[in-house]
Amino acid sequence: MSAAVETGWIGRSLERREDARLLTGRGEYLADVRVSDCLHVCFVRSSHAHARIKDIRLDAALEIPGVVGAITGAELSREIQGQKIPVLIPAFPAKYRQYWPLAVDEVYWHGEPLAAIVAKDKYVAEDAAAAVEIDYEPLPVVTDAEVALREDSPRVYDDWDSNEIFGTSYTGGFEADQIAKNDAEVEALFAQADVVLRQRFRTQRCGVCPIETRGALAIWSETDGLTVHLTTQRPHIERLALADLLELSTAEVRVVAPRDQGGGFGVKAPFYREHVVVCHLARKLGRPVRWIETREEHLMTVSQERDQIHDLEIAADREGRILALRNRGIGDVGDGRQGVYWGFVMPSLGSVMLPNAYGIRHADIKLRCAVTNKACMSPSRSFGALPTRFALERGLDMLARKLGLETAALKRRNLVTEFPFISVTGVHHDSGNYVKAWDKLVESVDLPGFRALQEEARASGRYIGIGFACGAEFSGIPSDVLVPLENQPGYGVVTMRIDPRGKIAIHEGDAPQGQSHETTMAQVAADAFGIHPDDVSVRHGDTGTTPLSSGTIGARGASYTVAAIAEAAAALKAKMARYMIHDHGLEGATADDFSFRGGAVIYEKDGNIRREFAALADRIVMGSINLPAGEDPGLEHTAYFEAPKPMICFTAQAAKVEVDIETGQFTILDYATCEDVGTVINPIVVEGQVQGGVVQGMSNAMFEEFLYDENGQQLTADFENYRLASAADVPNVTVGHSPTPCPDHPLGVRAVGEGRPGPVPGALANAICDALAPFGVESTTLPLKPEMILALIEAGRAGNGG
Amino acid sequence: MEKTITVTVNGTAYTRTVPLRLLLVDFIRDECGLTGTHIGCTYEGRCGACTVQIEGRAHKSCMKLAVQADGKEITTIEGLGSRDNLHRLQQAFSRYHALQCGFCTSGILMNAVDFLNENINPSEAEVRRALVGNLCRCTGYSHIVEAILAASATRHGLKPVPPPAETEPPP
Amino acid sequence: MYPAPIEAYFAPRTIDGALQCRAEAGDDAMFIAGGMSLMQAMKARLATPRALIDLNEVEELSGLAKGPRGVTVRPLTRYRELAVTTALHGALQAIGDAASTVGDRQVRNAGTIGGSLCWNYVASCMPNVCLCLDATLVLASLERGERGVPINEFLIGPLETARRDDELLVEINFPASKVYGVGSAYRKYGGTVDGLPIVGIAALIEVDETGLCTDARFSVGGILPTARRFDGVGDALLGRSGTPAAFVEAASAAADAIETQTDHLASAHYRKVLIRTLGRDVLAEAHARATGG
Repeated sequence: MSAAVETGWIGRSLERREDARLLTGRGEYLADVRVSDCLHVCFVRSSHAHARIKDIRLDAALEIPGVVGAITGAELSREIQGQKIPVLIPAFPAKYRQYWPLAVDEVYWHGEPLAAIVAKDKYVAEDAAAAVEIDYEPLPVVTDAEVALREDSPRVYDDWDSNEIFGTSYTGGFEADQIAKNDAEVEALFAQADVVLRQRFRTQRCGVCPIETRGALAIWSETDGLTVHLTTQRPHIERLALADLLELSTAEVRVVAPRDQGGGFGVKAPFYREHVVVCHLARKLGRPVRWIETREEHLMTVSQERDQIHDLEIAADREGRILALRNRGIGDVGDGRQGVYWGFVMPSLGSVMLPNAYGIRHADIKLRCAVTNKACMSPSRSFGALPTRFALERGLDMLARKLGLETAALKRRNLVTEFPFISVTGVHHDSGNYVKAWDKLVESVDLPGFRALQEEARASGRYIGIGFACGAEFSGIPSDVLVPLENQPGYGVVTMRIDPRGKIAIHEGDAPQGQSHETTMAQVAADAFGIHPDDVSVRHGDTGTTPLSSGTIGARGASYTVAAIAEAAAALKAKMARYMIHDHGLEGATADDFSFRGGAVIYEKDGNIRREFAALADRIVMGSINLPAGEDPGLEHTAYFEAPKPMICFTAQAAKVEVDIETGQFTILDYATCEDVGTVINPIVVEGQVQGGVVQGMSNAMFEEFLYDENGQQLTADFENYRLASAADVPNVTVGHSPTPCPDHPLGVRAVGEGRPGPVPGALANAICDALAPFGVESTTLPLKPEMILALIEAGRAGNGG
Repeated sequence: MEKTITVTVNGTAYTRTVPLRLLLVDFIRDECGLTGTHIGCTYEGRCGACTVQIEGRAHKSCMKLAVQADGKEITTIEGLGSRDNLHRLQQAFSRYHALQCGFCTSGILMNAVDFLNENINPSEAEVRRALVGNLCRCTGYSHIVEAILAASATRHGLKPVPPPAETEPPP
Repeated sequence: MYPAPIEAYFAPRTIDGALQCRAEAGDDAMFIAGGMSLMQAMKARLATPRALIDLNEVEELSGLAKGPRGVTVRPLTRYRELAVTTALHGALQAIGDAASTVGDRQVRNAGTIGGSLCWNYVASCMPNVCLCLDATLVLASLERGERGVPINEFLIGPLETARRDDELLVEINFPASKVYGVGSAYRKYGGTVDGLPIVGIAALIEVDETGLCTDARFSVGGILPTARRFDGVGDALLGRSGTPAAFVEAASAAADAIETQTDHLASAHYRKVLIRTLGRDVLAEAHARATGG
């Protein structure tokens, strides 16, 4: 990019600031942090899904040369606080069970850590972990949420009256009589409907699996306390929790999310029990301690989401207008013990998001979440909503087929058209033009042309199909949602500093993992000040230098943090203007009379009155005499941004597939989206976010599935058995745009990070079922395994009389 | 249990006495201090983040012992190109936004350079198949494929397909 | 997920040297070739060899030779070489089909045909292909010299072969065949592209000048206990011209006859579907190659 470009940095596909170091192997990931004399932790994990721990013998492990120490749950529980602390508990009425990071007395899932070994290196630590002897007394296991909710089910926790950890209604109100009244109204609408669709949908346990696993490096200093480098999306929350759990003053805890993290996608958002063990051991031993999770541990313990069942009912009129929805959801949350989310917050938000972008006025939506002897559900991109997107998008296609309508037309007819719109579950749709984006997508895939092609293909024995889906996704989450949801603030915040050389430093308390903050945020600041993005640096992740924020979650970056940058820039520009007015005696001038461009601050009414940006910064920061009245020196501002209500970002997606009816195998011929992300800061970055999210959705839909056997043994703790899509398994994803600037964001931006995988399974399944319409195939479960599709084809053939 | 070996990495000879069981990837990261080679899976060698070139061929360095590399020449990402003198594939990766978190990127580059030496004018399908051994979770692969095709075209003096046009800010 | 301690490591340069090392290292020693399977097993601590004898520097174990008695493939030959060599056209083209889709590029750069045969993982491609192509394996030991073992006797069960621990696979011999009128092919289905096969099928077809089938072989991989030949395909095809209907009939006969297993990758029924559909396509391809079509 030419340095001569003075403004207009927003909207440009700038090459990223991050790339030079990442492309040359100079990234700074957690495992790359070097400290001398560092010890390594290996966790000993339960080989049983549910068992009483009768005995743990560490002697043989401790005798191995190079082993420095070991700790069991029983010992740890006497030394630190239990994990049930306010900062890690949402404001929902649910069963929050006290637990310690290493199991005490009883293990509840295959893979639960019950001891930790510390050794000079990871090889020896593993030798020692293998030498730990444990006697278990197996206990009854439940791995199916539906079974777990039955009266006669074995209990995961024997002192609970049921396995239900959380259950609620999302419609009608908060009082039982209000809910009953609402449900009766919905029932009446069902009774009047021309058509009712009832169907169960099931989404398998799967997640996002970043390529960098989790890890922690804790350093204890008698002087400064604890410094811990962590793979985390929310360093400030980690800091508060660690201080509470270790009974340290917050002044003694500094959390550093590494500058580079190898993907997160929600997996690095919870507070994990391993972190606190590593920190405790560093303090106890007085030496740096590192844990880098193995892939097998990762697949055994985290990245597991989506595990939901939905009994969905749609009442509609003859034209396909939705009159009412009813849904009974079940979430399988695993052991339900994990800081911040406790397994059930994801399915809960999934139910909130169920009505999607459709203008549904009446609904009865309820959810029950059960604990099971499986790893706790942890968040994955599209947070809880992928299963409900799948259910409704599939359900609407089934409805369209029932009514003999084109699915794209039926969905269009139901989209929200008047804004702001508050959904039946309380989701605030701020603005947008969903229909326009939808139409643009449908046009881009040439639906009439495709239908003609489809007919020709069928005549020659080939089965191609098209499927649509959409998502109205959160663009950041405001405090009035996040405080009740996660007991954390939603505001965006940055501290912006301008130094005497005119260089800008932005400090954000978030912790990105590939979202290009260093580039896009520099573009925003450079655009505001009319300087070059190279003169803006963005620092994040270190609680010692950044303002407290809730972290890089829920597409908060481009929405809340960028908005805070815009507000900080506005405040500092106003201050610089006041100095100009004072220094040049421009009585009556206002901040609006100055433009910031070309590295200068210019008085628009007289272009001769101008200062180099750096010179003005120097005057304000260094030349602290002759100040304007009431003015402080210095150029530093911390801005907080809060949107009045949630901001929404819309995606419409279409898949074209070809299915081989002999085998049920299918090929994705084409995948296209149309995005309403408002103002685009960096188009190629946005395109990358969308493509990446879509392919995660494809991989989830086609291949990924965590499997547990009847004894709760996890069968899929490696990439051979838990398969991710490779480049050869997926097509190019075409990204289109239909932007509507967001009125609640100072730059009109809608953030794109969170929701993109959600609609994908529905679009793919709809395309497959469209291709196989002659056989009456309606798939209702994920993953879309060819074998399952073939079984549906065979059932359809049998039903058609062969 | 230990052996003294000499491995040449990016032109520098490293002589170290190492445990026989030490994985090559740990030798590269811990003994040579070259942390651009990453570890994304642990036992199975599936993710490809640790890919380096041994004698010019792409190999997963977690699937070899360090002692097996005794006397060998290895190139890691740090030896591919420098900040001021990027390899054309590195340039293309930046231009086409073929990396987000960057964790898989070193392995992809080391594999793709070997691939482009073998197949000087690949199709999109060939590029995609060549990447089977490298998992990426951020990009959805589209930009990676475009960057590799662009680097290939550049070598032939052809004009690559440009990255997406910069959009107009909305009204 | 890191190897257990290893006490000795040898990197011999000759076959004799390798066998000597084996004798010196004793019973807990293992040979390592490409290491694509063994390293996984060692890192998972399913294999904990006290000593490793690395074959990668034994040049005489690598390469291909064509002679009047057939083709000899040395066991250390990498998939990459097998995928591109022109020495395996005609009757042995199935080897190239399989080698070019094993694992991924990096695996193909390292993995060897001999390593795959000696490991005999249920889903691997090479045991299946070699079974179809009637390979004879030459095993050498210091004490007993060399012995030839037909592939069907070599493959015993999951991770089990007729190779004794002190024996080294030194040659894989394929019988001489006609230059024209014979073709072979291999395909697999593994869910993901190039994934380990749920089912893999290898076939060879030989035709006379009139286009009638004079030999047909068919083998299936991905099934327990190990890759299996199905000679009923010959019964269905011999003396017939290759028509789509004949291939369907032959592959269906195989699918009906072969016992398959259910696991988390696929049901027994679906494996039969794959045997039938892939089988038909592989037979058609082998036939097309045999007839120059």
